[in-house]
Amino acid sequence: MTMPLLQTRALTRRFPGVVALANVDFAADGGEVHAVCGANGAGKSTLMNVLSGTILPSSGSVSVAGQEVSFASPADARAAGVSIVYQEFSSIPELTVADNIYLGREFHGPLHTVDRRAAVRAAGVLLERHGIALDANAMVGSLGVADRQLVELARALSTDARILILDEPTAVLSIAEQEKLFGVIRSLREKGLLVLYISHRLEEIFEIADRVSVMRDGALVATRAKADLTETELVRLMTGREVSAPHPPEPIPAGSRTVLTLSGLATDGSAVELRQGEILGLAGLVGAGRTSIAHRIVGLRPRSGFTAALDGAPLPDDPARVLEAGVVYMTEDRKRDGIFGPLAITSNATAAALKRFSSAGFLRLRRERAAAGEMLRGLRLVAASLDTPIASLSGGNQQKVLFARALMTAPRVLICDEPTRGVDVGAKEEIYGVLRRLAGEGVAIIVISSELNEVLALSHRIAVVRDGRITATMDNAGLDEHSLTVAATGVALRSAQG
Amino acid sequence: MTTSVQSFPRTLRLPSLDRAAVWIVLVVLVLLAGLVSDAFFKLNYLTNLVRQAAPVGITAVGVTFVMLLRGVDLSVGAIVSMSAVVCALVMGGKVDNLWLGIAAAIACGSAVGLANGLLIAYGKGSAFILTLGMSIVVYGLVQMGTGGTARGIVSPGFRETLNGRIGGVLPVLVICLLLAVAVGIFLQSRTRFGRNAYLIGANPDAARLAGLPVSRVTVVAYMVSGFFAALGGLALLARTGVSGTNPGAGMEFDVLAAVVLGGTTFSGGRGGVGGTFAGVLVLIIALNLANVAGLPFAAQLAVKGAIIIAASAAYSWIGRRGGGLGRE
Repeated sequence: MTMPLLQTRALTRRFPGVVALANVDFAADGGEVHAVCGANGAGKSTLMNVLSGTILPSSGSVSVAGQEVSFASPADARAAGVSIVYQEFSSIPELTVADNIYLGREFHGPLHTVDRRAAVRAAGVLLERHGIALDANAMVGSLGVADRQLVELARALSTDARILILDEPTAVLSIAEQEKLFGVIRSLREKGLLVLYISHRLEEIFEIADRVSVMRDGALVATRAKADLTETELVRLMTGREVSAPHPPEPIPAGSRTVLTLSGLATDGSAVELRQGEILGLAGLVGAGRTSIAHRIVGLRPRSGFTAALDGAPLPDDPARVLEAGVVYMTEDRKRDGIFGPLAITSNATAAALKRFSSAGFLRLRRERAAAGEMLRGLRLVAASLDTPIASLSGGNQQKVLFARALMTAPRVLICDEPTRGVDVGAKEEIYGVLRRLAGEGVAIIVISSELNEVLALSHRIAVVRDGRITATMDNAGLDEHSLTVAATGVALRSAQG
Repeated sequence: MTTSVQSFPRTLRLPSLDRAAVWIVLVVLVLLAGLVSDAFFKLNYLTNLVRQAAPVGITAVGVTFVMLLRGVDLSVGAIVSMSAVVCALVMGGKVDNLWLGIAAAIACGSAVGLANGLLIAYGKGSAFILTLGMSIVVYGLVQMGTGGTARGIVSPGFRETLNGRIGGVLPVLVICLLLAVAVGIFLQSRTRFGRNAYLIGANPDAARLAGLPVSRVTVVAYMVSGFFAALGGLALLARTGVSGTNPGAGMEFDVLAAVVLGGTTFSGGRGGVGGTFAGVLVLIIALNLANVAGLPFAAQLAVKGAIIIAASAAYSWIGRRGGGLGRE
């Protein structure tokens, strides 16, 4: 048997009070896409940080192509052929693709001036070699997210990487953009590179990976060929317990009244109605206008072109009044307009319902705390204390606090935008449970999600969104991912594919 | 940390580094001052020191709320001047006008704060520029009102009472400062206004989404700032008498320095009145040390500036390290 390209032996990393990596024996070969998955805190980030030279291991060894290596810095790792592409973009929009690829490693002409022409030439060769369709002279700011991701990738490759680590590369990509990225990844595999692929999204792992390594609580629990693995099995390995397969939602109780009516939003002119206890899924590509519909319903954007009515009465325009009326929107981007980062869990949970916990402007702190505690226990929040700043919680727990905030207002209509984004598998199931329970209690729910199986698992009905309007509404019976994809992408994609 | 907690304990919460920093600095500085000067730990000296800090300290309580909201108030120096001048003019040396003078000063300060708040909340302008402009307007109005010379006489008893010492020990101005701080702490932790200020400052977009009255809270915060600046003006008037038409000139910088030192940085949502109080003490002790060390006034200014720069650098360093927040 040949020597694996990358191998770790008994790799261990301790942090005060935690063993983030415990005796990890990991091996991966050139010419494969090797997915590394695990719940939040399983240790995959620590492993990648050790492999890319960001942190030092406490003990154990790493070898590349049989040579034992010790990376004191990311530069050491790059020199040995290991490059990492992080989730967040670090490219500079005001510079060209070539300038970004060689950022910090510029080509110099005489008099130490920057030789941009040499950079463009080298970038052109690099992009061509790896089959990346980008213009080296294009401004990065003018590129879409997928192309910006490719710039990051090209930068990682420009150091003659043999091992490329991709950390959640598709977090911000639409389905079509994802395909473009996967095309590049496959061509890298052809060229014999090892691609370590970290992702939360199981569908993706099954699409792109050759082998899958699963981490849990700092240990490597299994490495399997994709062919020997089912999705259920993978989830079991990640969580260490059986997760029930998504079951279809309970039927809506007979005699449920219509709560929300959206007129003028459907392309066929019919009104879209939402009943008590009903979950309506909004499916569509990223950029199809799902979030825009949600924003327009709750008044965050002008409600041009359609009207919204709650119990037959028109919904106010002002977001605060919409919230008061009982229509609550939960953001897709927790960090941007969800969490109050430095503030305690309690303050975060009660923010939208402070009036309930005050009289004459004075806060009733004990009552507030008791209510927040009860609500969060019901949501199975995991936290050391309610005084912990919310920013220190995992994505799933932050989302539970945001659910608590929404539920504190006793909503009649709840609009959840990507409710499980950045949430690990276990917490995901819990959030599905919460949504189903709420529907059972008579709350009308709209779920927006890029994950089709999520929409399919939760919704009674599914509305397909294109260009900010609803092009079709169907009952969730006999639908599968394929038929939904066809509906969501429609003729446009089919004709584009020829 | 990641054990499933079924009942959330009320934990003894260790203050995070950014909250504790100013208190650590204060303790170090007090010890240092004790080493440098034998007189420092004498009760009389200490109370005098805090008494000196009253005008800046009282004003800083109000500015803290504006800064929690990611705002800034550069007009407080001018409001302090206006308050002192208006009070002395209205009192006109008559006992009967004592309360009228105080009320007039407070009303004027709050009105300027209200104007600031309305302009910033609804005009959507930059707080920095708008309050700077307001400070010039107020300065001009004060000059017009006085004709450019120090005028007005305080009511008999006003200065005597405020400069007195209760039981011959505790200066009344120190009590006023402590009272202002206590009111500020109550406002920030026990009222919906205070909570809203933290929430809006921590994330204005999330606040809007949660239906919080962002504009109203902004207006109230600038009014609170104007109100406390007026009180600061009264404290200054008590301390120095009718000493000019612009006694609060430049005070906004001392106030800002104290607030930032106290951990309420320009990024909003963090800090509070308690830290501001410690910041005021740090500033006043540092200046006293410079004074004791025999530095000329110009050099003391340089020291003051250096303290502000060092403090803001320290907080951004703490902030980059996550302010004690753990991440995966």
